[in-house]
Amino acid sequence: MKRVQNTKLVLWLITGFAAAIGLNRFIFGLGATTNLTDSTPWGLWIGFDVMGGVALAAGGFVMTAIFYIMKRDEFHPLVKPAVLTAFLGYLAVVLGLMFDLGLPWNIWHMIIYWNPHSPLFEVGWCVMLYTAVLLLEFSPVPLEESSRYAKIRKFLLKFRFVFVLLGIMLSTLHQSSLGSLFLIMPYKLHPLWYSNILPVQFFISAVALGLMMVSFESLASHWLYKRKPETDLFAKLGKVVVWVLAVYIIVKMTDIISTGKFNLILNGSWESYVFITEILISVIIPIIIFSIPKTCNNTKAQWIGSFMVVFGMVFNRINVGGLTMLSVTGDTYTPSWMEISISLGVVSAAILVFLFAIEKFHIWDLKPQDPESLPYTAPSFDYSSHAWLGTPNVASLTKYSLAFVISFAVGMALMPEQKLLGKGIENIMVYRASGKDTLTINGNRDDNFVLFPHKDHIARIGQDRCVTCHHLTLPGYQENSCWECHTSMYNTVDFFKHDWHTSSTGANLKCADCHSKGFTKSKETAKKCTECHPSYTFDQNKITAVKNYFAPSYTDAMHKLCVSCHIVKSKEMKDKPNLAQCSTCHSTAPPEKILANLKWETALPHFDRVILPDIDTLKIKGR
Amino acid sequence: MSKAILTDITKCIGCLKCVSACKEANNLEMDVPRIWQKNDGLSADNWTSIIQKPANHFVRKQCRHCLEAACVTACPVGALHKTDVGAVVYDNDKCLGCRYCMMACPYGIPRYDWDQSVPYVRKCIMCYDKIKIGDQPACTKVCPEGATIFGDRNELLRIAHNRINENPGKYINKVWGENEVGGTSVLYLSDIDLDFLSYDMRLGKEPLPEKTDPAMKSVPFAFVGMGGFMLGLNWIIRRRMEFSKQQNEKAKEKE
Repeated sequence: MKRVQNTKLVLWLITGFAAAIGLNRFIFGLGATTNLTDSTPWGLWIGFDVMGGVALAAGGFVMTAIFYIMKRDEFHPLVKPAVLTAFLGYLAVVLGLMFDLGLPWNIWHMIIYWNPHSPLFEVGWCVMLYTAVLLLEFSPVPLEESSRYAKIRKFLLKFRFVFVLLGIMLSTLHQSSLGSLFLIMPYKLHPLWYSNILPVQFFISAVALGLMMVSFESLASHWLYKRKPETDLFAKLGKVVVWVLAVYIIVKMTDIISTGKFNLILNGSWESYVFITEILISVIIPIIIFSIPKTCNNTKAQWIGSFMVVFGMVFNRINVGGLTMLSVTGDTYTPSWMEISISLGVVSAAILVFLFAIEKFHIWDLKPQDPESLPYTAPSFDYSSHAWLGTPNVASLTKYSLAFVISFAVGMALMPEQKLLGKGIENIMVYRASGKDTLTINGNRDDNFVLFPHKDHIARIGQDRCVTCHHLTLPGYQENSCWECHTSMYNTVDFFKHDWHTSSTGANLKCADCHSKGFTKSKETAKKCTECHPSYTFDQNKITAVKNYFAPSYTDAMHKLCVSCHIVKSKEMKDKPNLAQCSTCHSTAPPEKILANLKWETALPHFDRVILPDIDTLKIKGR
Repeated sequence: MSKAILTDITKCIGCLKCVSACKEANNLEMDVPRIWQKNDGLSADNWTSIIQKPANHFVRKQCRHCLEAACVTACPVGALHKTDVGAVVYDNDKCLGCRYCMMACPYGIPRYDWDQSVPYVRKCIMCYDKIKIGDQPACTKVCPEGATIFGDRNELLRIAHNRINENPGKYINKVWGENEVGGTSVLYLSDIDLDFLSYDMRLGKEPLPEKTDPAMKSVPFAFVGMGGFMLGLNWIIRRRMEFSKQQNEKAKEKE
């Protein structure tokens, strides 16, 4: 039973980690936890969790169709696990959707606000109805455990055929409607995957995937509990899947050839390689494996074949779900580790529930031994401390909860502070302005220059009034400029250089030199700057208000300073234009017309001295 | 009475007054470059932007307010809808954040509040509150050059074709937005190619909702059809089983 327990331990670890990340996703939003962009609004969570999850749940409707509709009684041992997988799969899809939706608490809106033209509306309703039907289909199994619910169970079993039929009908709609979702994107989705019969392709591939998911899931759970797999049944499924896959590839290739896209497969673009790989994994190799009798009846080959179909078809869903749109949108998207861990966490949680159900209810004809409730086993000891962990069930629960808590804590600790605080703001370092009489301010070196008539400002403000703009803080620098503290273009930064003060090559101070006022080492208990640097004359300077040593971003500092003053000045002086407009400064190559309109007398004479960037290079303005 | 906006690229001087007027009219916050933004200047806080192209061409990008909008069809709860006056507007209270509208838009216009924990979809709504009462959008009102004008769509199309005819050689003989994806309520006249506004794609004339229509219309048939097929299959198989059972019994009786 070590195998089951170790697997569970790993699953609990992943789940705990994902729970921490999931919590952060709700607190900080999608931008802080995902790599989704405006061009790639759907990522791994839709491609894998939702599209893949629904496809993986297809085993439920395929198996019930084989068993209840086509009356193939020999498949009885596979039906209950398949329905359970489908039910859990749908729950996992809904759970995954909760993370992906921006406003998940509004998910019920689909019930009251209708847009029957939307494929997603259809998808939503199918998920709701089919999850309900699956619950009704599956609930007789747990209800079996107690005689108290015998009546309900009997009642449910009476309508089982209706549920099965409804389930198949809803699944047909749902599997195909996932394909319909992408019909509206003919310009974004790569032509090799876009097709007018995408819904049909999705349905056929879901049938194949469903069959193979049943085999794969059974093989995996039999391996886990060290039971003999039903190899003959899997061989039968393999024979069926060959036909389904053949229909799928014929439909797909006919569509591609008839629309004249065949040359795209061989044109050497990365999409063409992705397509070939996908077809090989999901169709060609499985067909070969399952059509040779020797490999079809071999457990190992069944493992490989079923995994290939499962993997290949999920890969197909990911390709359609956004991967092959990247070259059109010109975006790059790699799922963040946080997205990946939540996806894995959802899957792990579903597997844990599956294992729980298998151990507690009569899913299999013979219930596997519950490893946690073995009454007479040797006491288990912790490897390192040799402490007794309690009876087996207590010991395992201890281990699982410890795994969950520890990985939850690790997940919390690993959340990158920068990403959470910066909220997706690009961290751009700021450089000093250059020039002489007229400065070109190009803090972030993006070649969008701002012209600043420095000499004219001196003339107007007065030779001795540098303090109005410059700080008199850093020793040696009696007029240190904005960029030296406001080091980041768009982020608020901490301008107190703690590391420099403690470094032996810097100020070489001991902790107690500054933190002398209390036991805790914090900003509040530390000495103020002026206690060591009396020449730091903050109060002389009217624009300095030091609050917790945070310097606002460079743009904030610039704009709040310049613009606020310009607004006042433009009102004071009637003949001056309003210079507080963005376009006054933010124009790499101001057209003559603007300059004429602005009547910017002070700036005009300086233009001939400034080398403006090449206007023929593409520039985007308006940020 | 569908209203529209006509932007003449040859007249735009790139003063960005429309951009700041838009910000003011819609109470949009200051914007900084975010890692999730596309480099076209549009963002959740920037509903229109000016893209500078070589040789002093300034192209204003904004929502196209398609006549048969893909986003409107896509939204599962109808949070986006095309109003009678031509604007495609968004309802905060209905949205559930699926972002299918962003996927469906052929121009890649809708933006998302990625930094918020309660995010909404953001895009130009053609100042619906203003045009509803007969006023015009903030951007067209403020334009000093008359480069972007507001009016009845048919009237603007007439103006556009007049300008093309009266100034031979000045414009490319095409009004962007007249026919693409079924026509849009934001039209462009230009002397440079404007296909870069839609993922560098030349869009066809067919409205995108028509692409999903056949699939959505066949839903009831697929539903009932699959049910009927399964029932029929079940009936046949049961009949066969009963038949073979009878045969077996007969064979047994004979024995």
